[in-house]
Amino acid sequence: MKLNKRYPRSIRSYLSFYVSASVLTMVTLLLFFLFYTSGTGVQKYADDFAKRNNRQDAQFETYEEIPDEALKSISSKYNVVLEKDHSVNIEEPDGKRSRIFKESKQIDLCEVKKGSRPTNENEVMISLGYAEEHSISIGDKITVGRKERTVTGMFLRPDYLFMVENESDTYKNIDDFFLAVLDDKTFGSSFEEPNVIYKVIYNDSSKESEFRKEINSSYSMLSYLDADVNGRIHYVYQESDTYILVSWILLATVPFVAVVLICMILSRKIRKEQKIIGTLSALGYKPRTIMLHYSIMAIIPGLAGGILMSGVSLLVSGWFGKLTEGSFEPMEPDYSVPITIMLAGVFLPTIIYFIAAMLVTRKILKYNTVTLLSGSVGTKNAGKKIFTGSNMKVRTRFALRSVVGNPGRSIVIFLGIFLGSAIVCFGNAYYDSMAVLADNPQSQIGSYKYRYYLSDYGEGVYDDKTDVLINASFEAGKDTTVNVIGADEGCKRLNIIDKDTDDPAKLNEGWYISTLAAAMFDVGVGDELSMKNTLTLEDKKVKISGIIHNDYDVFVISSRENASKVTGIDPKYYDCILSDDSIDFENGEVALIITDKTAKKQMEMIADDFGAVIYTIILLGVIICIASLYVAINMMINEQSANISMLKVLGYKRSYIDTMVLRGNHILLIPGIILGLFSGAWLMKFFSDELVSVTEMIMPVEITLRTSLITIAVVCVCYFGSLLILRRRVDKIDMIESLKDNRE
Amino acid sequence: MFIEIKNAKKQYGTGEAAVFALAGVDLTLDKGKVYVILGPSGSGKSTLLNMVGGLDCLDSGDLIVDGRNIAAASKKELLQYRLEDVGFIFQFYNLIPDLNVEENIQVVSEISPKPLDIDEVLKSLEIEQYRKRFPKELSGGQQQRVAIGRAMIKNPKLLLCDELTGALDTKSSYAVLKFVEKMNQMYGTTIIIITHNEAIADMADCVIRFKDGNVASKVDNTNKCPAEKLNL
Repeated sequence: MKLNKRYPRSIRSYLSFYVSASVLTMVTLLLFFLFYTSGTGVQKYADDFAKRNNRQDAQFETYEEIPDEALKSISSKYNVVLEKDHSVNIEEPDGKRSRIFKESKQIDLCEVKKGSRPTNENEVMISLGYAEEHSISIGDKITVGRKERTVTGMFLRPDYLFMVENESDTYKNIDDFFLAVLDDKTFGSSFEEPNVIYKVIYNDSSKESEFRKEINSSYSMLSYLDADVNGRIHYVYQESDTYILVSWILLATVPFVAVVLICMILSRKIRKEQKIIGTLSALGYKPRTIMLHYSIMAIIPGLAGGILMSGVSLLVSGWFGKLTEGSFEPMEPDYSVPITIMLAGVFLPTIIYFIAAMLVTRKILKYNTVTLLSGSVGTKNAGKKIFTGSNMKVRTRFALRSVVGNPGRSIVIFLGIFLGSAIVCFGNAYYDSMAVLADNPQSQIGSYKYRYYLSDYGEGVYDDKTDVLINASFEAGKDTTVNVIGADEGCKRLNIIDKDTDDPAKLNEGWYISTLAAAMFDVGVGDELSMKNTLTLEDKKVKISGIIHNDYDVFVISSRENASKVTGIDPKYYDCILSDDSIDFENGEVALIITDKTAKKQMEMIADDFGAVIYTIILLGVIICIASLYVAINMMINEQSANISMLKVLGYKRSYIDTMVLRGNHILLIPGIILGLFSGAWLMKFFSDELVSVTEMIMPVEITLRTSLITIAVVCVCYFGSLLILRRRVDKIDMIESLKDNRE
Repeated sequence: MFIEIKNAKKQYGTGEAAVFALAGVDLTLDKGKVYVILGPSGSGKSTLLNMVGGLDCLDSGDLIVDGRNIAAASKKELLQYRLEDVGFIFQFYNLIPDLNVEENIQVVSEISPKPLDIDEVLKSLEIEQYRKRFPKELSGGQQQRVAIGRAMIKNPKLLLCDELTGALDTKSSYAVLKFVEKMNQMYGTTIIIITHNEAIADMADCVIRFKDGNVASKVDNTNKCPAEKLNL
């Protein structure tokens, strides 16, 4: 069909539109693909790694050691794999802290990534992340267990893919903490009383409860940590879940707006061709043929954008994946894009553009041929009559009228400004949220400098420079733990201010919940929170009387008497001390120490690690902003080419033409940016709400002055940059050719 | 001598596709007269009009208008020339659809150094009552009168009309030509009309015929008749 010859000609004529629309399609989809492949790549690697190395289902400690014979009988009875895990924590002379393991044989196997296992007392194998961070090579000597040993290998363990030193930590530490494995004989001879924890794999999950109850009744369970709430394991999934969630949120918003924008431009381009459509119709072309012709033209940016996106994502997904891996031990995930998703990425926008073009052409074809040949479809607009009685200069009136009188065109430009602002604002708001998180933890958590979790219970009070708490871990919701805290009403060092009344919580009168826990479990004042004691598996319920503003910790708190009824711990005892000063405890008395700097440092590290990802979002936001504004302004200049050429004929200077044709759209800049800022904030809020259960923290939504200024600056630079580039198109408009085109 | 064209050449396309739109045109035109240029399509008459109007540039030759060589003018000088000295009227009016009648004329008066009074122009063209209407709300003849108003408001030395009645019915054509004639009489404007319509030649002071990119003949019209007497 001769009509087919129009395709390459159309591409040549509208090359800048096709290029910018393809880039816009590509970049918006790329955002989704990068986050999606990062999330799924890490998850798949973690799953495979866990399967390969027999990752635990849970780990626990008991007051009484389980004899080896009992391990065998219990394993058989409950169809579990049960293994003792031996380790020691050593403060090395150089200030580093090592956790030395006797290598497990059944659960959480060490996978040697470089070198080999140690074979004698002078050799050691260390965790890979620490080795890479400190540029330690095979053959180097390092101090482990207060003895200099030669590094023979580096390994990863499935229960330490996220290297946190303490279970309560939320961020990795590979600066001064590492894992080490000695050969069995050396470990046995070097450490007489290692820490013992038990690890379990359930082959029959229906027997899990019975198993746990028997362990607790026979050996007094001290702690129980399911793999799903073990930060060292589940943070990998949590972070990858975050990226997958981000990808879907981005897919549902950014490409949607971009596709709407491109569809609108395509529609206007087709409407501009109404005389040709009328001519084809007059020549006897069937409506179906004409619709197909324009629909095929419309799929070009979809196909080109999709193919471009596939190519670019193949090139950069690995690089981006590495950016998102910052938190984990060095892994080798496969970041390749699943072929089905890639095909969807190529064909989905293509199909949408195809349908949009078909619908517009069908609508145009409903007009009679004479109307189409006169080119008068869609030219009536009451908006064009505004400012007729005004004393403004005609060129100002023209500029304003071309904005108000062409709502479709103005919406396209507005969408371009809005989309760019929203993405840039979102990226910066994300950064601000991380910064606020890093700045505020202590003011929300409390005024204490040290928080000591004791290995055994203390009684009464400690001293007048401390507050003491009952603290017990409960399971609530799906794969989530909540701390049940018992405190005295006069407790000064913990933030227990009721969020609604600003008064200290009346702990003797009821239960209060942190804002984070309330968001995670979707409970409010008057609701009941159901929980299960991690050790005894007893079900408990507490009725919530108030909420305490704390976006960092998951807890419910009441008086020690009330907490005693839930935890079963005698109210005169305590197992947690909040102190203004450091306390010298005997070795083994303290299970865990958290300082006021810990939370801040960890949040700062999260912010730093997310930095690269956030900057990528902002960079892609800038590209989206430029591409969307470019296509929109390009379309506007094309539509105004006849007017521009006439103005040139009339002797109009370039600056006057700019005023009339381009500058009128400046008035869209302010509302576009303002709405973009609000939408960016809304996107951040939506994102924050959705992420609460995944990240176990509430990301504050704050559009700071910095974010607002950056967004305004970036969008203005993109907008005026696009205008500057496209001004050349105004110069290139040929007076004679454009006037010829302007015939009825 | 108001306009002097010497050996003007203009070629479009290259190689076998090359077309000599102007093949060494020599022509002189006097001030204040009405010229009608006739000739078949592709004879070069519209190209000549574009060159005289400063819309396009010659490949070679000279084009002197009122002592100024347009062929050697810079873009800026051409812009100034179009602004001050030339008025255009096109077959398809080329009015700006977003502007009403008054504004389509004001758009020129606002940038002209010595514009005529807009009310006078509207009145003389008998379109005063349509001043707030938009082009789409006018007939072809009315639109062409607005185009004449737009061209004349700057009081140009030269009015270039490209097939100005080509899209009009006979009645409208008479009216439009009458107004063009009136402008010539009122303001002494030199007028060049390009047309296929032989009948319009009767209102000219001089009739020029074009063929194959060159002047075939240039004949003074001794039997000039008013526009209203034309046999259209």
